[in-house]
Amino acid sequence: MRVFFRLCKQALQDVTLNPWAQLLTLAAVTLMAFLVGIFLMAIITLDHQLGVIKGETIFQVYWRPGVEQNLIAGQWRQLRLLPGFAHIQTYTPLEALQELEGRIGRNSSSRNFPFLNENNPLPATALITFTPEAEDYERWLTETTSYLARLEGVERVSSTPLRDELGQAWRTVNSYVLRPIILFLTLILGLVVGNTVRLAMLSKSQEVEILQLVGAFDWYIRIPMLVIGGLQGLVGSALALFLLRFIHLQIEQILNFPPILMEIQFLNLQTIVLMLALPTLLGIVGGWVGIKR
Amino acid sequence: MIDVRHLSHSFGPHPALQDCSFHLSRGEVLFLTGPSGAGKSTLLRLLFADLPLQRGEAVVAGFPLSKIRAAQVPLLRRQVSMVFQDFKILPLRTVYDNIVLPLQVRGMDKTHADRRVLAAARAVELENKLESSCVDISGGEQQRVAVARALVVNPRILLADEPTGNMDPELALQIMDIFKKFQNYGTTLIIATHSPELILRNPRARILRLDQGMITQANWPGAILNKFSSAVPLAAYGGGARHDSTEERDG
Ligand SMILES: Nc1ncnc2c1ncn2[C@@H]1O[C@H](COP(=O)(O)OP(=O)(O)OP(=O)(O)O)[C@@H](O)[C@H]1O
Ligand SMILES: [Mg+2]
Repeated sequence: MRVFFRLCKQALQDVTLNPWAQLLTLAAVTLMAFLVGIFLMAIITLDHQLGVIKGETIFQVYWRPGVEQNLIAGQWRQLRLLPGFAHIQTYTPLEALQELEGRIGRNSSSRNFPFLNENNPLPATALITFTPEAEDYERWLTETTSYLARLEGVERVSSTPLRDELGQAWRTVNSYVLRPIILFLTLILGLVVGNTVRLAMLSKSQEVEILQLVGAFDWYIRIPMLVIGGLQGLVGSALALFLLRFIHLQIEQILNFPPILMEIQFLNLQTIVLMLALPTLLGIVGGWVGIKR
Repeated sequence: MIDVRHLSHSFGPHPALQDCSFHLSRGEVLFLTGPSGAGKSTLLRLLFADLPLQRGEAVVAGFPLSKIRAAQVPLLRRQVSMVFQDFKILPLRTVYDNIVLPLQVRGMDKTHADRRVLAAARAVELENKLESSCVDISGGEQQRVAVARALVVNPRILLADEPTGNMDPELALQIMDIFKKFQNYGTTLIIATHSPELILRNPRARILRLDQGMITQANWPGAILNKFSSAVPLAAYGGGARHDSTEERDG
């Protein structure tokens, strides 16, 4: 164990013997990790964006005109308890009228249709947004539709499951595509790192040869190489992650305006762990295969 | 200590060593001579397990080299030191770092190792250059670093390939005297050299002459002459054959 620590210390001191080669290797690792990170951030943001609208089903419910408003208000409160409820936007006949007037003339009020105030022909309506569970979606849809249609005073129910189709499609594709892409990219990152480290180790081949000539055992030669290889993978991808996080903080909100309303997402924990672990692991492997017997 | 039987080696179709046989006991010194390209370095590298054995057998410090496993090579090299014709030192490191390397590899603690390094450096007159980087010293000094690195571990066997080739004659003789001291303590030596003065300096030495990979002359019966060999004894180099009695000591 003492020898192990001495070898690690030695390995770190050796870095100063050839600082530029080590720095260049580190820079290559960092840049590669950065590129992969940017790409993964884009994919994860896209996934998040599709996830936001995924599963959203919107019902528009029309009540018959003239139904007692107290009854309707009670029903609106009940609706909030439905499974998958997200939010609700309601219009009393009066609100609907004002909305309508607002659309017709900006600075007008009910003065436009004063005669209608007494005898409003508009129904009460509600726009209810649901984010139902993925499983049993069809059953949920029919159940919710019939529930809404059977509400007292309700005239008509229309739903817009259309937006959900993209979400549904993404959800099925997601599990087949997203994870493999993340895995694939981090694997590429790891392989490039491993190979970079391996090539950097070739510059040490003279030292390796001489150590072999003076009777060093295999592990004695390899341990410093593995430590350096692993450190380069770890430090390089950690630097890249810090850089990404810094940039992310700058650009997080730049697309967050209507109608895009897209918040740029940072890498999730799983991806961060992968982006640290695989380059480290393959850096170690690179340190191992960099030494030929 | 060293037992070589029908050893041959070729690089591709080109034979570098052909059917060499000889035996050396503990504390004996052998000079290898012969023209450039005769196979001296090839023979030494074979004995150091730096080249794989192709034909024949060589037993060095108890290791039969035809059967040695890669994991055993370090064990062999902890008994056998070699001074390479091209030194094989680390140019970016200091003289001290180079000489201490075999001791570090063996896990020796620093104070003990420092004392040994200083003694070895004194023997080759490098004690004032210990902190110099090896790129900043002369060829002769680099060669002395290689010699000190080989001696610092007190090897049982020392293989030296032109160990004094880049030194002035005075220093070369001084190195030979150091080798002789090691010989007196029981180290077995094989020294490849072109220089007759060095050989004459050690009248008890065994001498082998290689020509195109074949032993053509030897000055003691322990070397088995083959069909290529000349019958002419190496009278010119003095009579090493007087000391055959040392052979019986070997185990
Ligand atoms: N690695 C190699 N690949 C191919 N041929 C080699 C190799 N090493 C040596 N040879 C050849 O083997 C022969 C013996 O070489 P060797 O180095 O043993 O000679 P030497 O006696 O040490 O010569 P010198 O006195 O010049 O050092 C030479 O013809 C050489 O060209
Ligand atoms: Mg040679």
